[in-house]
Amino acid sequence: MVNLDDLKKEALNLLKDEKVKYIIGYTEGSNGTSAAPAFIKNPEDTDKLVWNPGCFHNLTRFLRDEKKRKAREKHPDERPVGIVVKGCDSRAINVLLQEKYIKRDDVFILGVSCESTGVIDEKKVAKKLKGKKAQKIEWDTNRNLVVTTEDGTTKIPADEVLAERCVECPVHSPVVYDIFFGDKIKRTTDAQFKSVEKIENLSQKEKWDFWKKQFDKCIRCYACRSVCPMCYCDECVVDTISFAVTADTTAEEKAQRIKWIEKSPTPSETFIYHIIRAIHLAGRCIDCGECERVCPLDIPIRFLNKKLEKEAKSLFDYEVGFDPDQLSLVSSFKDEDPEDFIR
Amino acid sequence: MSDNVYIPKLSKIFEIKEEVTGARAIKTFRTQFVENNGFSHKCGQCAMLSVFGKGESMISISSTPLVKDYLQFSILKTGRVTSALHEMQEGDVIGVRGPYGNNFPLEKWKGKNLIFIGGGIGLAPIWSVLQTALAKKADYGKLSLFYGSRTSQDIVYKEDLKELKNDITVHLSIDQKEKEWEEYVGFVPLNVLDKKPSPKNAVAITCGPPIMIKFVIQNLEALGFKDDQIYTTVENKMKCGIGKCGRCNIGMHYVCKDGPVYSWAELKKLPQEY
Amino acid sequence: MEKILTKKSFPNWIAKLATVQIYAPVVKDDLWSYEVVDAAGITTEYTNAIQSPKKIIFPQRELFLEFSHNDNGSPEIRELLPEDKESIIFGIRPCDAKGVSHMDKVFGGDFEDSYYWKRRNQVTLVGVGCNTPPSPNCFCTSVDGSPFSHEGLDVLLTDMGDNYYVQTFTKKGDKLVNMSKGLFAAPKPKEKADLESLHKDAETKLPRHLKDTKKIPPKLKGLFDSEIWDDESMSCIRCGICTYLCPTCHCFDISDEITSHSPLEGKRVRTWDNCQFPDFTMHSSGHNPRPDKASRLRQRIMHKFQYFVEIYNNYQCVGCGRCISKCPVGIDIIQVLEKVRDHV
Repeated sequence: MVNLDDLKKEALNLLKDEKVKYIIGYTEGSNGTSAAPAFIKNPEDTDKLVWNPGCFHNLTRFLRDEKKRKAREKHPDERPVGIVVKGCDSRAINVLLQEKYIKRDDVFILGVSCESTGVIDEKKVAKKLKGKKAQKIEWDTNRNLVVTTEDGTTKIPADEVLAERCVECPVHSPVVYDIFFGDKIKRTTDAQFKSVEKIENLSQKEKWDFWKKQFDKCIRCYACRSVCPMCYCDECVVDTISFAVTADTTAEEKAQRIKWIEKSPTPSETFIYHIIRAIHLAGRCIDCGECERVCPLDIPIRFLNKKLEKEAKSLFDYEVGFDPDQLSLVSSFKDEDPEDFIR
Repeated sequence: MSDNVYIPKLSKIFEIKEEVTGARAIKTFRTQFVENNGFSHKCGQCAMLSVFGKGESMISISSTPLVKDYLQFSILKTGRVTSALHEMQEGDVIGVRGPYGNNFPLEKWKGKNLIFIGGGIGLAPIWSVLQTALAKKADYGKLSLFYGSRTSQDIVYKEDLKELKNDITVHLSIDQKEKEWEEYVGFVPLNVLDKKPSPKNAVAITCGPPIMIKFVIQNLEALGFKDDQIYTTVENKMKCGIGKCGRCNIGMHYVCKDGPVYSWAELKKLPQEY
Repeated sequence: MEKILTKKSFPNWIAKLATVQIYAPVVKDDLWSYEVVDAAGITTEYTNAIQSPKKIIFPQRELFLEFSHNDNGSPEIRELLPEDKESIIFGIRPCDAKGVSHMDKVFGGDFEDSYYWKRRNQVTLVGVGCNTPPSPNCFCTSVDGSPFSHEGLDVLLTDMGDNYYVQTFTKKGDKLVNMSKGLFAAPKPKEKADLESLHKDAETKLPRHLKDTKKIPPKLKGLFDSEIWDDESMSCIRCGICTYLCPTCHCFDISDEITSHSPLEGKRVRTWDNCQFPDFTMHSSGHNPRPDKASRLRQRIMHKFQYFVEIYNNYQCVGCGRCISKCPVGIDIIQVLEKVRDHV
């Protein structure tokens, strides 16, 4: 079992010894089931850290903010940032290292094992609770979610409330870390792409109708992009202006910037947004599922990325986020790469 | 159609003057409404110009309201819309809606000495009020202009400035030394400090890059100008021009509607958000 | 006027109303959403919809005008206004209706917004009061609202068990009742008393509270440069959920969408925009007056609880709780405001 006190103690020491600038971890959220990201600077605040089934956020997303903040500082503090990661999140760190977006020394990784469970799907839990508010949630040793509400505690089997990505997760514990918390349990899954099959088995027309209906709901809040640790580009096709603009950017350059996507949430524009994002994540997405979790309209965005993950694996035997030194999927070529997808 | 505030009025560009070429190109456009549906403006007000297919851009009106048959806009090529405007030819038609914003309180300034201090394209909003005061010269005290640009090439209204020297005192400056330049070399705020205009019964009107405005104000204060003797204009990104789209606000003020003209006394009370 | 409508007669009334287009909450993919429905699809038992009916009066995309080049290459423009079509939003929550009345202020004033008012004038708002809070983050009573507030409403329905207590506040509202006069009875004194106690009781059921809200606007005045904004925005991911789901946020963009380059054809459109996106305020030069997420969170809070109060004498927040429920990282506007209020 992950011992929260161990995590707190290590965090305390890291801050006391001034080995890290601050620690990105989880703290209690205000709604009962969800934890919230916490940025802990003072040693005495390490007591606020939590580890529970509501720690679904992929905190590596905040390394982008840290990088930007550091770039603005005249005399940046070069110490690493402490960061709490799960198995999936740790693979994001490997991708960021692979893409040279961060350096290994930029982070001190507090890796936490998901052991035999993972994190919950809030919507599944909410359905089980039928409107009651959770005060506390935790896993017991028998893969049950123990939920405390004002009416007492109830146990729900993990498989009924686990996030789909956790059911399909191939790692369950961090693949890169400086300190490890919990047990390293070897867990395999034969269901890594099961959710995608639901869509794959549809006819072309059914697929089209499915996605049309889904994207029709999109309000283009870009939460899926904003929460993604890989969506760190300074220049994104959906923004009206490039953030790479400096005083030296000429009027011509600005005027000639192509408007790939209109802001209107019309079918063509929304489709293109999601397709471009999916393609840009091919060989980069580590399936933390955050894009889908944060979507206020419940669009199952994760399917798109999962499908591309499956394609990468079956066509090129490419897996994301296990090796920071591997060449990236879309910018590398091997003689034996199949070409039968070219028609 | 007339009561829909978002519908621009078609206007023909009948004259284009190339003021500055190169990386910081500036052109001056004179436009006339295609139909007899125009508007009259006040000094300091702006208009939203449309290049259909590219979008809209808020530009200050640099002609004096005393001229009734055209509007004048001096435009620095900066982004999508202004680049498209720079590609336009005489005879081309654009959209104009407005006028927007408040204005310089010229009436209040009667009898006072007016000191205009501009930098770069910042002469454009000043031009409207300067020309108006000049036309009613008897109503005001001494008029003078400080104007500076990066190089002599970057000076706008070159010929007009030459003519203006016959009427009022003009202090020109460029940032760095050039061979044939006989006037002041250095930034505009330093030129102001060098010439020491008197705050007595005077109002200073300054417009230009934010950093210039900041130091001009500092130096005017050093010369004894009070907060309500200094006026400037502010700009922020705008889309609607009528205080609804929500992006140009500085605190509770929408610059498009409540600005762009502020006395330093007023501006000081607002948060630094421009 | 005040009337009683039995639940038995309710479908008959709805059938009468259905001569015009009706929007009402329906379940769409597990979520409540305001959609065009037929009379049979209408219910008064629903939790809060993910999106408020703002999207009907102030749609995410509004066509402003059409432009094209004529044979001489000169532009021609044609105004595009929303169609002539009356509709009813049935089952709008009192908080969301109050949101509409706030939007009325923004889109009215010196420059009336033709598009907004064309839609607004053609819609009748029939509210259903909240006997029990429709969301775990409701806090309407903390921002001058109540579960049975009628601000912005034409009609308000209160579920009294076997009957609905029907109150109308405008001519538009009267019209809806007068369409089926025979179905409505005058309320008895007991029913009036029951209504009052039910409304009072509902106010005690609110799940969330913000105390001393009045103290916040003056407090905010001194906090422009406070470290509060850095601290509270640390976990913000700069998405647009809080503002796009907000029933009072009205910010927008205007852009030209080209459908043909040669000859030029296209439309000028208004789309929602929001203060949490960094390109919202970024100048063409690259300068950005709100360059970081701290300044953007500050704008959101200050607009709602200081600037709007200064301009319109109302909080620009109706306490629907959507931004709290849906924030991906748990930023809770009540907690942020408490920190502002208690800041020393």
